[in-house]
Amino acid sequence: MHRFSATQRLLTLVGDLPVVANLGPTTDELWHAGHRDRNFYTYGSMGLCSSIALGMALSSDEKVISLDGDGSLLMNMGTIATIGRESPKNLIVIVWDNEQWAQTGYQSSHTAFGTDLAQVAKSCDIPKTATVLDEEELESAVLQALREDGPWFIVAKIEEEEYLPVAPIEPEVTLHRFRTSFGV
Amino acid sequence: MNWAETIVKSLKDAEVSLIAYVPDVSIHQVTRLMEEDDYFYVVSATREEEAIGIATGAYARGRNAAVFMQSSGFGNCVNALASLCLPARVPIPMFINLRGEVGEFNIAQVAMGRATRPILDVLGIQHYTLDTDDRLDLRVSGALKLCYASRQPLALCLTPLLHGGKLA
Repeated sequence: MHRFSATQRLLTLVGDLPVVANLGPTTDELWHAGHRDRNFYTYGSMGLCSSIALGMALSSDEKVISLDGDGSLLMNMGTIATIGRESPKNLIVIVWDNEQWAQTGYQSSHTAFGTDLAQVAKSCDIPKTATVLDEEELESAVLQALREDGPWFIVAKIEEEEYLPVAPIEPEVTLHRFRTSFGV
Repeated sequence: MNWAETIVKSLKDAEVSLIAYVPDVSIHQVTRLMEEDDYFYVVSATREEEAIGIATGAYARGRNAAVFMQSSGFGNCVNALASLCLPARVPIPMFINLRGEVGEFNIAQVAMGRATRPILDVLGIQHYTLDTDDRLDLRVSGALKLCYASRQPLALCLTPLLHGGKLA
């Protein structure tokens, strides 16, 4: 499974729900897959993607989707415990797991050596987890997560491909556009 | 009202209803009041940068959020402020218990306590030190107003002269 194609497919499922994107290629590919007001792109703050989505989920009723990464989440694994503790019904975490820090030179991450983030989530009292290997499995898991209460934690195993151009976006504009899309 | 009650009232007046924090015995005097008050949703974070992320998400969705931490933990969230809140202009009031001040008993708290305000200065984050309850309501409510007007994070540094500090 490739992240860009999977992101394109994901956007056909989520309607106008907010989507938070991890820094780097996840943000760039979300922009290329379909720029929308409720895409919350991040540019730095590695590790905080799902924490930001958690803050959104605790401030609204609609489903919130986090597009995180294995390397980033390894940097802030405590937030999995906080998601388990808070247990927001409306949070869906999707981890693009390429088992490496691809952008910094394809160094293997800990998920290549046995760390199973879905098991980490389970042990943090997040029972609704899935590990998906292709787009069909991802779509099925996401549709279920959109239907049923969460929190959901979906690990999507992906292979890296050539990067798309960096998306032409400004953090300040992203925040303003996102907020005003909800009438704030 | 004592100092902790004054902070709680100022947060309500500024419609700050989500609190993300990492425990600290002195700011517990404030967070304890908020946990008992239905107006607030209080989230216990595992690390200070996580608290900044949660507060940013709340603000993005239209809910004002503040972060409580101690100065040692401020060191854990510098990059979150520098790479998320400053470029995106996220107004987050931060209440930082300043360790390493008069009465400090733990040598390990001194350096980060001393470094906290200079780091805020280098980041260009406005900060005010609260070491007395003289006109505290004006200081806190004024700082909150400034934070949201400037749409930038802002720090209120609490010292033992205000809250009594931590005894060994």
